[in-house]
Amino acid sequence: MSLWGVRRGLARGLLYAGAALLVLEAGAPFLWMTSTSLKPPGEVFAEPPTVVPNAPTLDNFRRLFTGTNFLVYFRNSVVVSGLAVLLTLAVGSAGAYSLTRYRYAGSGQIGVLILCTYMFAPIMIVIPFFILVKRAGIENTHLALVLAFTSFCLPFTLWLLRAFFETIPLELEEAALVDGANRPRAVVYVVLPLALPGLVATGIFTFILAWNDYVFTRILISSDELKTLPVGVQDLFHSALTDWGLIMAAGVLITIPALAFFVAVQRHLVAGWGSGGLKG
Amino acid sequence: MRRPLAQQAVGWLAIAPGLLLILALTVYPVGYALWLSLLDKHSFFPEQRFVGLDNFVYLWTDAEFWQSLWYGVVYSVSTIVLQILLGVAAALVLHQPFRGRGLARAMVLFPYMIPTIVAVILWKWLLNDTYGVLNYLLLAWGVVRDPISWLGADHIMLSLIAVSVWQFFPFVLLAILARLQTIPEELYDAAKVDGASAVGRFVYVTLPHIRGILFVVILLRSIWMFTKFDTVWLMGEGAGAGRFIRTLPVYAYMRTLTYYQAGLGSAVAVVMFGILMASTVVYFTLFRKEADIG
Repeated sequence: MSLWGVRRGLARGLLYAGAALLVLEAGAPFLWMTSTSLKPPGEVFAEPPTVVPNAPTLDNFRRLFTGTNFLVYFRNSVVVSGLAVLLTLAVGSAGAYSLTRYRYAGSGQIGVLILCTYMFAPIMIVIPFFILVKRAGIENTHLALVLAFTSFCLPFTLWLLRAFFETIPLELEEAALVDGANRPRAVVYVVLPLALPGLVATGIFTFILAWNDYVFTRILISSDELKTLPVGVQDLFHSALTDWGLIMAAGVLITIPALAFFVAVQRHLVAGWGSGGLKG
Repeated sequence: MRRPLAQQAVGWLAIAPGLLLILALTVYPVGYALWLSLLDKHSFFPEQRFVGLDNFVYLWTDAEFWQSLWYGVVYSVSTIVLQILLGVAAALVLHQPFRGRGLARAMVLFPYMIPTIVAVILWKWLLNDTYGVLNYLLLAWGVVRDPISWLGADHIMLSLIAVSVWQFFPFVLLAILARLQTIPEELYDAAKVDGASAVGRFVYVTLPHIRGILFVVILLRSIWMFTKFDTVWLMGEGAGAGRFIRTLPVYAYMRTLTYYQAGLGSAVAVVMFGILMASTVVYFTLFRKEADIG
């Protein structure tokens, strides 16, 4: 083989090694979590540890559903994250449409304001938020949580949607308007279908953001039956300290919705970043 | 073009609900935090007393505050540097064509998409000193002779940094990868014809193109790592060594919800915000050129 060939082969080898390493660092921990969740209590602590369980069982999942409040947390997470996403999408798409289609006094400053709030960290908002929520008398309610999630989801949604709306050519709407459609018809029949992929992708990113929240729920919710998954599972972790099979089963189940959504928008991800980004 | 008043009104009407929500749920709480930092206020009871800058004076003399500031700087600087290096390197690998690239790209992003609570309990299991698979492998391969207490006082900062980098470097990867895809292939071909090595092509073709996005990514990641609460809090909680990773956000939280000193907790948050603003200004002045490239 020529020297050129050797160098090419070496570069190829390095590339595959690098890629394999990346897949391993990301995938192996999840593999281990899933494996542990399928083991009976005795095998969890076996030495040497088994990668594929000798006696796989769904007992950990059964105990999670029957012995804990896991399903209640799950339902709460779906409801609160879902409501926050619906609210931010409705308000956000109107706002993004306004920012990309109209020029008025202060429209530029509003864009800057959104960018600023997009960078605020939850920890800066959560302390005053907690006291204001107490003062309003809505502590320990899902309403407070939906508002809290909106506080960090809305700037994010507006930021992403504005970028998506900017890619929809103005000419199409103008053509519809010239053809005699009024503005609402132009929006419904021309803009909305074109914006739909962006709306779906934004909705999913926002859902994951809300689904993953820990700090607001920890501070605003005290009743067990109102908790969302991250907080519920953390408390489970404390009360079932060495029951690793049960904890890992919970971990597997929380991850599934986020991953499923994520796989659904995977091909939009890189494009989405080019125009707006992610948060966290 | 003329802009009739009615048109402007429609524009205003469409943005109004969003703007009001942002003002009420984000801007107002931040303003209220500024006011709280000037009060002596219990977190649960309505009584409050105006104390001026007393909270800040107290923090200046508070050893715990300075300790948290130090831990926060160690944590954010080390995680940012590692994230950027790993993220750029991984983006370069995943930009090359190879079989299974789509799957590899999707998998590498997993750690970034999962809830922090899952990342933390998963790593607490992997790092468990008695039954953790990491200690098992290190012992089996003869790397160490005794199991390492990864969540003990000596190693907890190291473990926290590793978990955080694992969780957040895919963000850098994604941003850089998106930018890499817009660099015209001809530029690399031309550089090859001119005899540039792989390193040369990176320095003279890739780097100038990713400078702008690197500027933004470093800014965002710095803000988010310096104010990171959940990963740090959850890693430290339950482990007796939690106080060895008590960064500023955790300290602000504890002042408010463990000692019920809402005023002092807000003061910590305000100081944190001040440090961020000052650093951002310095950053923009130092790297103005990169910002212009966009």
